[in-house]
Amino acid sequence: MSKKSMWTLKLSTAAIALIPAAIGINYLGKLFAGLLKLPLWLDSIGTVLSSMLAGPIIGALSGIINNVIYGVTVDPISTVYAVTSGAIGLAVGIMAYKGWLKNLKTVILVGLIVGFVAAIISTPLNIIFWGGQTGNVWGDAFYAFLVAKDFPVWLASFGDSIVVDVPDKVATVIISYFIYKGLPKNLISIFRGQGKIEEL
Amino acid sequence: MSTMTLYVDRKSLIHDAFAPLTKLLYVMVSIAITYIYPDLLFVLSVAIFSGVVLLVGKVFRKILPILALSILLIISIIIVQGFFHPENQTELFSLGFLTFYKEGLSYAVLLTLRVMNMVMSFGILILTTKHDEFVEALIKRGLSPKIGYVLLSVLQLIPQMRATMGKITDAQKSRGMETEGSLIVRVKAFFPLIGPVVLNSLNNTRERAIALEVRGFNTRIKKTFLNVSRTYHYQGLIQFILWMALIATIVWRILS
Repeated sequence: MSKKSMWTLKLSTAAIALIPAAIGINYLGKLFAGLLKLPLWLDSIGTVLSSMLAGPIIGALSGIINNVIYGVTVDPISTVYAVTSGAIGLAVGIMAYKGWLKNLKTVILVGLIVGFVAAIISTPLNIIFWGGQTGNVWGDAFYAFLVAKDFPVWLASFGDSIVVDVPDKVATVIISYFIYKGLPKNLISIFRGQGKIEEL
Repeated sequence: MSTMTLYVDRKSLIHDAFAPLTKLLYVMVSIAITYIYPDLLFVLSVAIFSGVVLLVGKVFRKILPILALSILLIISIIIVQGFFHPENQTELFSLGFLTFYKEGLSYAVLLTLRVMNMVMSFGILILTTKHDEFVEALIKRGLSPKIGYVLLSVLQLIPQMRATMGKITDAQKSRGMETEGSLIVRVKAFFPLIGPVVLNSLNNTRERAIALEVRGFNTRIKKTFLNVSRTYHYQGLIQFILWMALIATIVWRILS
């Protein structure tokens, strides 16, 4: 881990150039998941990877810009979730910096935390914008079940988000971790700004 | 070079007479007022207004595929709210043991109109504004040029990566990777697909960073613009009207 503070705001050129790549990886992750008909979105692999590589600030920026770009090119609805994506990047970046990504067990734990963070932030957005639903069939079925059982709307909506977000984020963090582990060291170091020669 | 954009090159009042930032302000105001004042007729009229603006901009047909993307959310809203909205009282019809209620339906229609207005007002910005002009306008208003670079480069990068994706998928299939079958087979196929993409793009990132650095990406000298910015008239007045509309809605909501 680098000795620099994780909140350093002097962003290196390499770290900034990482953001578009992260957004591209997000996009392709989603496309591949669709191609293979996987039951998850896997559309934040790039955000999570960029947090692991370059820290929480770059991770959060990747997340926010990802949704804004997605909003102005494909699907305006996704702009609403820019905050959620930013929080995902921030959460992963902080936990990676604290050294929580040690083995599969801690990685799954990180994934669970990220899923909960995503759900906590999505819930108020879902309630404000679409009365608590997510548009995901399984999540909304769960929502309907909870509301029919007379649970309050915010709890039902939170349940809806949990069903949708937690499995997806756990899978995303695990996949990103394995990719990260497989990356050559010299590729990782340029984003940290440790090596004198490689720092840009 | 192909870029990812929904911009439609037409000659129209909306294309030529409104600055990008005015359109951005319209997006924000029109979305905000539909949430501030929850009245069905009011939200309907805002949505219709956005639709009319799209018609004037000659891009109404282009919004339909974007609206179709949110159709699942809309259907889900109507079904779930119609059957299960907590304030449901007046019965509309019933299917077996499930009953569809009037209160839920009217709430669902309100939400649907808001979603449609959100998509359409975004459409005004997206479909009638060139993205480079939009980003340059933002930079002139104080957005960091670095973030501006990021925004514009993503739009070029994604089509490139989509082309890479085709290559990688073909290469791995020719090596015998299975993309169909049980869930485990398909999960296993995900890694050989995403791995090369990630490596490839991180490698490119390094090269791009060097190229940027050589071109003075990090200098503190004031940046100049390549494109001559277009001039628009009466933007101050239009933006003032939009702000007034927002304030009026807030006041109206508080008073009523």
